[in-house]
Amino acid sequence: MANLNTKWRRENTYDAIVVGSGMTGGWAAKELTEKGLKTLVLERGPMVRHIEDYPTATTDPWDAKYPLGRLPPQEVKSHYPVQNRTGYALTEYTKHFFVRDDEEPYTEAKSFDWIRGYHVGGRSLLWSRQCYRHSPIDFEANAREGVGIDWPIRYDDLAPWYDYVERFIGVSGKKEGLPQLPDGVFQPPMQMNCVEEAFKAKSEARYPDRRITIGRAAHLTAPTEEQLALGRGKCQNRNMCMRGCPFGAYFSSNSATLVAAERTGNLKIRPSSIVTSLIYDEKKSRAEGVRVLDAETGEESEFYADVVFLCASTLNSTWVMLNSTSKRFPNGFGNDSDQLGRNIMDHHLGVGAQADAPGFEDMYYSGRRPNGIYVPRFRNLGDAASARKDYIRGFGYQGGAARPNWSRSLTGGGFGAERKAALTQPGPWMIRLGGFGEILPYTDNRATLNHAVKDKHGLPTLTLDVSIRGNERAMRKDMQAAAAEMLDAAGFKNVAPYDFGYSPGNGIHEMGAARMGRDPKTSVLNAHNQVHECANVYVTDGSAMASASCVNPSLTYMALTARAVDHAVSERRKGNL
Amino acid sequence: MLNRREAFAGLALSFGLASDGIVGQAWAAPAPISWTPKTLTPEQARTVDAVAEMIVPATDTPGARAVGVPQFIDRAVGTWCDAGQAKLLRSGLDQLDVDARAAHGAAFADLAPAQQTALLTRYDTGGDPQRPFFSLLKELTTIGYFTSKTGATVTLRYDPVPGDYRGCVPLKEIGRAWATS
Repeated sequence: MANLNTKWRRENTYDAIVVGSGMTGGWAAKELTEKGLKTLVLERGPMVRHIEDYPTATTDPWDAKYPLGRLPPQEVKSHYPVQNRTGYALTEYTKHFFVRDDEEPYTEAKSFDWIRGYHVGGRSLLWSRQCYRHSPIDFEANAREGVGIDWPIRYDDLAPWYDYVERFIGVSGKKEGLPQLPDGVFQPPMQMNCVEEAFKAKSEARYPDRRITIGRAAHLTAPTEEQLALGRGKCQNRNMCMRGCPFGAYFSSNSATLVAAERTGNLKIRPSSIVTSLIYDEKKSRAEGVRVLDAETGEESEFYADVVFLCASTLNSTWVMLNSTSKRFPNGFGNDSDQLGRNIMDHHLGVGAQADAPGFEDMYYSGRRPNGIYVPRFRNLGDAASARKDYIRGFGYQGGAARPNWSRSLTGGGFGAERKAALTQPGPWMIRLGGFGEILPYTDNRATLNHAVKDKHGLPTLTLDVSIRGNERAMRKDMQAAAAEMLDAAGFKNVAPYDFGYSPGNGIHEMGAARMGRDPKTSVLNAHNQVHECANVYVTDGSAMASASCVNPSLTYMALTARAVDHAVSERRKGNL
Repeated sequence: MLNRREAFAGLALSFGLASDGIVGQAWAAPAPISWTPKTLTPEQARTVDAVAEMIVPATDTPGARAVGVPQFIDRAVGTWCDAGQAKLLRSGLDQLDVDARAAHGAAFADLAPAQQTALLTRYDTGGDPQRPFFSLLKELTTIGYFTSKTGATVTLRYDPVPGDYRGCVPLKEIGRAWATS
């Protein structure tokens, strides 16, 4: 052991270690390596190289193995019963980017849809690419309303980092000048279609406070020199993003941050490396590095660094910390507050309204826009007009109008030449608005370590116990009603409010399990994403969130990560780590 | 290449001439299927070949048979369907022949188009026990057809790499629905 330890010290020492290679791991790697730190990225899954490891990126429909690319029911049942719960994401074209549920067990104390991809790039390959800034209201709400704990930062602390991230990743969108949805550094917006334009005009005339804008999405519409130099190109409107983009047109770790990191010469990526715990030096009160289990060989090893970034996704970073016990941290790493694993949030969805949009039969569109329209939050903005008595916080809508193709009628409409002719024409215009609502932090919405259920490596697993409450349920009623009102105001027909129900996790925005805060007694991380009790460990994925806002969170995670690296490198230079 | 039956079916539909009497006189025995099933029995394959073409017939664009939908269904039964769906399809195809023989004294594939239409209409609309079978077969046929290369690129419009997105385009400029969304 002593010899092994010496060997490891010699061979396995870096300036920085990043755990995870997804949305935030990629950013940590880019920033650390660009600032000159020799950086090791540990990824529990296999390598996915940009373009060459996107095996289905250009598969035409007729080369599908299965009807419509839908997996055989038996395969779903055996391997993907949870991953399939999104209803859209898992297909033969994408299954290699999702975990097999039978190999990655966890326990649902209450229904929780844990949708995951274990590979280099993580869910940055699979995300919906929507990019919205948290607003000043979002950062102030907890303190103002006495919910959870106060964020230790404000919008102004993060604003320059939003700029920085947006400039690099490329976000297409339109400036709207709304305080509840700050504008950013945008590439040209994508177009709305005819029905969306009509909806905007008519609904805004009736409800001027409910702005309708094109989605802000991480797709290049006018690539910068920097983006072109990384090998990225303009969005081709194929809308096959989740298979991986051979044009590098949407942002992913694989197409952008890891490429930039690699070019510094300071990056080492080690796939198949499951970080099982942090190594804590009781004497120096700092982390020495991490313990790693090789997912392929089962071999255990250690890696050392001056600073460790946990970017393994909310629940997996939480797992690593819960599994990192020591004399100093008997209940999990940096868990003096007992908040580690608690306050898990997501965005609740599956609720809204849809309608038919007659009157545009002679109009259509060309190209498959990988984006929709967006209605920024218009409730509880601080003024009397938007205040609700029945719930706090708010929601936004994502939606769009389209003419369904032949797949609108797989079993109906008779048979024969007439049906065939009908299906060769686009179907009637439909429009839908789907809500994304804020979930409050509840201390008993939590993940705990389960030693009774072990994974295939013999490691303990998580038990997830998360539910929504009265505030979210009241909000859902309004999410339906307000969507229906808007569609109605636009003159659309057969307006149908819906609530398909929501299972926590289904927003795939799980966050909050190691929240930032001002007080070590009530939070795990400080204002710079450092573990309060261990300065050289930073956690910069969704774990850090003190509140959820109602907007898609990845942009905020990336901005927090870039900001935290800046802090870490400066602290290291000063000898404070 | 159109065989006699397809050509006649096209005419019948165009002019509304289909009636048992006329069709019966004009009818000649159909050619055997041109492919070897991997999963279905030869009889089931011959039936699927006929039904698929009834569901999506050749018109101004090719029909299900010409683009390989029967083979697509044969493959789906073997690799995609669960046990219940596979059984539903196999037994449904068998029952189709049983019903065809009971009504007209011949296998479904050998019936005149109007007789085939009448039988499938019964399955498609009423409370016939074959309705779930026909529904599944219709679904697979529709998917198989419109995701075939000809279905997507000739019958519909397909653009693997659109480049730009244009939000408001006159439909007549595009002409037909996009194959993928």
